Amino acid sequence: MKKRAITLTINGEEYSLNVPVHHTLLQVLRDHLNLTDVKYGCGRGECGACTVLLDVGKGKRKPILACIALAATMDGKSITTAAGLSKDGTLHPVQKAFVDESAIQCGFCTPGMVLKSVSILEKNSKPTEEEIRFGLEGNICRCTGYAKIVTAVQAASKKMAAGKR
Amino acid sequence: MAESVIGKRIPKVDSREKVTGQAVYAGDMRMPGMYYGKVVRCWEHAHAKVKKLDFSAALKVPGVVKIIGPDDVTKKPYNTTVMKLLVPEIFGEVFGEIADLNIFNRVVKHQGDAICGVIARTEEAAERAAAKIKVTYEPLPVYMTVEASKAEGKKKNGYLFTPLKPGNLAFDLPESFFPGKRYGWNDKDGKTAEQLFSKCDYIIEDTFYVPKQKQCQMENHSYVAHYDERNRLNIWTSTQMPKPVQVLIAELFELPLTRVRLTQTTVGGGFGVRLGMIGEPHACAMAMAVPGHPVRMEFLREEDWVASETRYPGHIWLKMGFKKDGTPVAVDAMYSARKGGYYTHGSGPPFCAAAFLHGMYKWQALGMQTEGYFTNEVPTGAYRGYGNPQITFAAEQMITKMCNELGLDEIEWRKKWHKSIGDETWLKGVTFASDGLNDCLDVAAKEFGWYEKKKKYAKQTGVKRRGIGLAVMQHTSGAFPMLLEHSVCTAKLNEDCTVELIQQISDLGTGGHTVITQMAAETLGFPMEDIHLKSGDSDMCGFDIGAHASRTIYCAGPATIEACESVKKQLLERAAQLLEANVADLEMKDKIISVKGNPQKSISAVKIAKEGVYNYIDAATGKTIGIPGQIQGYSSFFAKHCSPPYGACMSEVEVDIETGEVKVLNLVNGHDIGKAIHPPSVEGQLEGGAQQGLGFVLTEEYAYDSKGRVLNNDFTDYKMLGPSDMPKAKIILVETAPDPIGPMGVKSCGESALMGPIGSVANAVYDAIGIQIKEAPITPEKVLKAIKEQGLRK
Repeated sequence: MKKRAITLTINGEEYSLNVPVHHTLLQVLRDHLNLTDVKYGCGRGECGACTVLLDVGKGKRKPILACIALAATMDGKSITTAAGLSKDGTLHPVQKAFVDESAIQCGFCTPGMVLKSVSILEKNSKPTEEEIRFGLEGNICRCTGYAKIVTAVQAASKKMAAGKR
Repeated sequence: MAESVIGKRIPKVDSREKVTGQAVYAGDMRMPGMYYGKVVRCWEHAHAKVKKLDFSAALKVPGVVKIIGPDDVTKKPYNTTVMKLLVPEIFGEVFGEIADLNIFNRVVKHQGDAICGVIARTEEAAERAAAKIKVTYEPLPVYMTVEASKAEGKKKNGYLFTPLKPGNLAFDLPESFFPGKRYGWNDKDGKTAEQLFSKCDYIIEDTFYVPKQKQCQMENHSYVAHYDERNRLNIWTSTQMPKPVQVLIAELFELPLTRVRLTQTTVGGGFGVRLGMIGEPHACAMAMAVPGHPVRMEFLREEDWVASETRYPGHIWLKMGFKKDGTPVAVDAMYSARKGGYYTHGSGPPFCAAAFLHGMYKWQALGMQTEGYFTNEVPTGAYRGYGNPQITFAAEQMITKMCNELGLDEIEWRKKWHKSIGDETWLKGVTFASDGLNDCLDVAAKEFGWYEKKKKYAKQTGVKRRGIGLAVMQHTSGAFPMLLEHSVCTAKLNEDCTVELIQQISDLGTGGHTVITQMAAETLGFPMEDIHLKSGDSDMCGFDIGAHASRTIYCAGPATIEACESVKKQLLERAAQLLEANVADLEMKDKIISVKGNPQKSISAVKIAKEGVYNYIDAATGKTIGIPGQIQGYSSFFAKHCSPPYGACMSEVEVDIETGEVKVLNLVNGHDIGKAIHPPSVEGQLEGGAQQGLGFVLTEEYAYDSKGRVLNNDFTDYKMLGPSDMPKAKIILVETAPDPIGPMGVKSCGESALMGPIGSVANAVYDAIGIQIKEAPITPEKVLKAIKEQGLRK
């Protein structure tokens, strides 16, 4: 089994890993590191349950799908998962909005959905409802009909804007 | 007194652990010494005999521990469902329930049937070995329609699927119980629906098709099973029905209940798919093959499509007769379903389709037949609505057509002729105790602007045509008296006067844990933070039938309330003794018990709780301080009624007559909840249910190739509505008809959400183009075909 040594920063913590070259980022996170807040939903990039945020420099992050990213290509990268969004027990405003708006039912899509929502707001702090809905495409929820998720992203947008002022 | 939490928009008790990803689902379990199990399934064929099984190459894969086949596991056949625990044995016999499934199979009856299992040290090794197992099949002809299965069954006068069901007929309604093989009633002179049609002024008759829809819960089926050193079989699963599944496992492996421990983990969605056993028998069989080692088994997404149950597809024929003023006289109906490869729920959902037809309108006579034929498809089972989405799609289209043709206002017709308080519900002998349907219709019509839109869209031309549609529904709150509705709750008062509720509450994301905690807090007058619900462990929890039939709050809530009332009563009784007062004169506020009108004469409930546990001896007097004994409340509650909720839904669509595309623009759903204990959870059920209902009516269905293999076992080819596809949905919770029997006035909401969107969108398409599309899902192809064949409304 061919392996490659990589250094990967997850939620601010640096990991030195020796990963089989055919293993996905999702396998490494869930099976090698037991970071099970990143979910397996489909394994083929269709449902978004495995969404993580990839640091692309200059304080910018973009969502990627861990189930179709090869871990061996992640050397030197830094990612954030749902567990890393909250700091010292304080929820990220998007997480707080999901809780306050009851935008969570079974919770399985939630970590990915929250990260996708964070990425929408980091790109555009005041998205329209339509922009939120299109932005969330690729992340499937079978419980909520998306209504309260959209409301939560809107609420977070307002809170974050107010916080900056 | 702690402020009441009933009806408040508070955060759900489990939301923080879910939003940080810390909630543990079965697939997140990791244990020391854990092995990995993989079920080898038949992907190539939908009907075949296994001629040869060759494990030799697979056994050489590094990391493989053991491979087990049909001869290595119990040969006891089983049925996936928990139905036999829900009904007395006699009913099972009447309905012809059978056990026709094996853990590993020598005959493949549908794509995805399990053949054998691999146990390995890593998941990857298990998968590599599974790919190296050589199975030699003898392919058999596949039967994918009722007609084909029926014809073949007749031809041989025998069976293809099981000798227990000659002619391939999985079920119909037995004559012994259902005269004329129909569920329903005759008129006051004993005339059947068929006999009454001659008295009708207006008769309509039509056949509708309902699709094979998949639940698509986001969490894949995952299990950890462990046969431990005390010879106990432990299983962690996200089943909806923990207690009944524990019993089924115990029966299958012939173990006493003390040796089977089932732990329900966080459940990543259910919608009915987890209403019985899925992978539990396979995970347990593998764990028993390697005692001492936990075995983790996780389905791939594509496995879910072929190895867990679906909605019952088929044709529904309806014949309705009316007087010319719209008086409903008679309805005769037939639901002919494709069963799939195994018996599972048998006549359950089609029978319930008949039952929900039974519960809706005041016919003089009604009769509905159901039948199901085995096919080489993925077996059908429970899916949210359990027959009601199917019958609503057909029946509500018929009612609207009748109103149009007789020139009646369809809102007013439904107000006048729906069954109401005192009338028989979906089940004989149980009557409606409350009715909020007219209020649902009024508030929905106002919010939607029904009459304004009706006028506005009356004469449309052009490529994009708008239409509006209405559908009403009634459903159920638990399934008494057809099914057992039993829940046990123990409320344990801790020494610091907080409460542990020990009760199996199956929360599929529906908010059950939050609502039960609210109900306990309200009953005791304690803050919600002082209540903790312990659920999920069969070693600890008393009996509970599980999450089915929208029952949890209606049927299990009363157990919580009774147990908490008992705790409160015991506290007051001890206070009465200590204060030398009468219980009737006492009140409890903020955990202080005092004599009404004399607050000085009081005692702290915290002190009573503490002294009950730490009943020390007073050194000075030699007597104990306080009253000894830890307080516990207990309830073993059997629901003895069923209070169906009603709902009225209105939809607005735009149909493109050149592409056939149907776009839902707007949806208003008024729901007769009785009392919403946690309004966001009720809204969430209705909003989310709309997504599944719209999928049923517009996009979702299995596609098969000619060999019976599923073509769309993924989220790209099986199209569910995404965030940008979903219309604006306005949910209105109607609380004008609190139920006198439901705890705190509640009626259910879980399954109710699908029917309104399904019926109203179908009717809105009919309104837009003047043609009824009788096959769901209403795809662009079907719309274009109908326009071509029937022509647009002038």
